[in-house]
Amino acid sequence: MKVDVSEIEKVETKCPECDSEKLINDHERGEIVCGACGLVIDDNLVDMGPEWRAFDHEQRDKRTRVGAPITYTIHDKGLSTMIDWRNKDIYGRDIPARNRAQWYRLRKWQRKIRISGATERNLAFALSELDRDSSRLGLPRSVREAASVVYRSAVENKLIRGRSIEGVVAASLYAACRRCNVPRTLDEIAEVSRVSKKEVGRTYRFLTRELNIKLPPTSPVDYVPRFASELSLSGEVQSKAIEIIEKAMEKGLTSGRGPTGVAAAALYIASVLLGERKTQRDVADIAGVTEVTIRNRYKELTEQLDMGVTL
Amino acid sequence: MSNVEIKVENIVASAAFGKSIELPKVAPALEGVEFNSENFPGLIYKLKEPKTAALIFGSGKLVCTGAKSIEDSIKAIHITVDKMRTLDPEIPKEFEIKIQNIVASANLGKTLNLEAVALDLENTEYEPEQFPGLVYRLEDPKVVLLLFGSGKVVCTGAKSFEDAQLGVEKTKERLGELDLI
Repeated sequence: MKVDVSEIEKVETKCPECDSEKLINDHERGEIVCGACGLVIDDNLVDMGPEWRAFDHEQRDKRTRVGAPITYTIHDKGLSTMIDWRNKDIYGRDIPARNRAQWYRLRKWQRKIRISGATERNLAFALSELDRDSSRLGLPRSVREAASVVYRSAVENKLIRGRSIEGVVAASLYAACRRCNVPRTLDEIAEVSRVSKKEVGRTYRFLTRELNIKLPPTSPVDYVPRFASELSLSGEVQSKAIEIIEKAMEKGLTSGRGPTGVAAAALYIASVLLGERKTQRDVADIAGVTEVTIRNRYKELTEQLDMGVTL
Repeated sequence: MSNVEIKVENIVASAAFGKSIELPKVAPALEGVEFNSENFPGLIYKLKEPKTAALIFGSGKLVCTGAKSIEDSIKAIHITVDKMRTLDPEIPKEFEIKIQNIVASANLGKTLNLEAVALDLENTEYEPEQFPGLVYRLEDPKVVLLLFGSGKVVCTGAKSFEDAQLGVEKTKERLGELDLI
């Protein structure tokens, strides 16, 4: 059976009586009420939040009523227990020296037992790989979670067979980045994951086909802020570049062109227009395209958009 | 139905003799034959007229590529086999030839906005980072089309000329329905 990844995150947001989507979360009474017809859809809600009066971070942690949130980035979703490394008992007293060896053994077995079976071991390995790759790319938590969800559904649908774990991990990351609108280029992913660019792309296409992930083609606009800050260009250049790209998209100039190339050329033009000139070489290096690509895109853009500039 | 002129670019056909061939034995009959057992296990024989290349394998199978028409492909196979028969008369005179793949190109005459096509058309794959064309998979006829921004189209995977023609026409029609062309 195929599991559609997008369904995992979907939450009920409709009133069963009147189909209104205006639901009110009343935390004071612990109820969800329909804003249109007044139907109480759910009551006795559990308040997930911490105690409300906390004055600093430490107090907030202490007042939490629940444990760590479940996370897809750990193979058992972070729900297992750990015996910690401190030799203290629950009252904070030291554990007598004669019991230390016993605790050492217990800890060792606890670690081993957390992973049951080969599938779980593979998952644990893959997720640590995923964590490593995303750390090197500096990706936020949310993207890691999304990537883990993609990887898990690939496992569930038995898509890993015959493919390398590293490759599928890299492809999941690429897909998650695009879904979260922080696209990384295949080159960037390939660089951190010791999988070739070709393999990442191939596995990514395979995953999207098999898991019914429908992602719109990446827009050059998504790359602009990142490239601009790496080139230390100002905000005006960024917005000018975005403006250029939007005009180009309207005219269909981006169709069939690599998004990174278009973004690079737009940034280059914007930087020249606003007197913060960067060389084509600098822009090309950051965007991972060649200078020739920038020149070609630049020619197309300036000719078709009547920018009235000669550089 | 809208008419589009398509041009066949390549035809791949295969033949099976049903018995194994000793490659070194037949090789002298084919002038200019390439054989590189370390790289590739088959003989590579390039014909000038019709301009095709035949791959001959020890298992008794032959693949002919590069022909621009089905007749040329069949003719090329027969020329090659006749030459081989001069040195190995055990190769049967009658054998089956099967068309494996036809690649055709066409021009829709109008530029396409691939981003819009990717969003509206079903079964598509469009990754400008990896390939500038949009891949469109058709179920019936079972062919794959590559659509490019310039309006040019390549159709592959067809087993017959009609399938390729039909595939391109269906695509054009579908694009018209969705108001993309």
